[in-house]
Amino acid sequence: MRKGFRREIDALDEIFRFLEDFVAEAAIDERDAFTINLVVEELFTNLVRHNNGGGESIDIDIEREGDDFHLELTDFDVEPFDPTSVPRPPLTSDIDERSPGGLGLHLVRTMVDDLSYEYEPKTRRMRVSVTKRLES
Amino acid sequence: MFEITRDTEGSVHLKGRFDAAQVANAKHVFSFVDDSCVVDFAELSYISSAGLGLLFATQKRLVDNGSALKLTNLNPHIREVFRIAGFDNIFEIDE
Repeated sequence: MRKGFRREIDALDEIFRFLEDFVAEAAIDERDAFTINLVVEELFTNLVRHNNGGGESIDIDIEREGDDFHLELTDFDVEPFDPTSVPRPPLTSDIDERSPGGLGLHLVRTMVDDLSYEYEPKTRRMRVSVTKRLES
Repeated sequence: MFEITRDTEGSVHLKGRFDAAQVANAKHVFSFVDDSCVVDFAELSYISSAGLGLLFATQKRLVDNGSALKLTNLNPHIREVFRIAGFDNIFEIDE
């Protein structure tokens, strides 16, 4: 399933409805559905925040292939931003040494099996791809 | 859908889906929390880093005053997110 969404945080409601249809059709259980929602939200909001000057929409492409879930987010007319290179936040128990920055990408990296990034300078198009082994 | 309310004892109740689009609403409610209180997750089905970030910022502010949030009734998926975020030692979580 593939669909374009407005480059706005408020597009999340529409995105979650899109994901709801997908998990029902692909017979994905509640635990995996939770993870898919979280991963898509974190990556989508990351693109919205880091690529302010980008195109009007961000494409989300999702599919189930056997026991694997594949996700691609494609952003158009943007500067390069590699989410795989963002440092992991320190997970210390001292609240004064912690900050919430980088938490979303840390969750994504921990919850999926593969996260990759590619950028095409000529078209200024970037793509973030995810693979996750499903438990259902 | 997301709802955040406070009861007469000061406890905060979260309901529905706490995603990045809901942070402004929740931020307003948590801005009035200035003492230790319970945050009840019983009717919350989902949370992302945006919600975690707001809870963290509130906790940090309260800890500086000798207070803290106590989180209760987290569903297993949300509990797992807190564990991955390394928040087990940041919050008291009622199991």
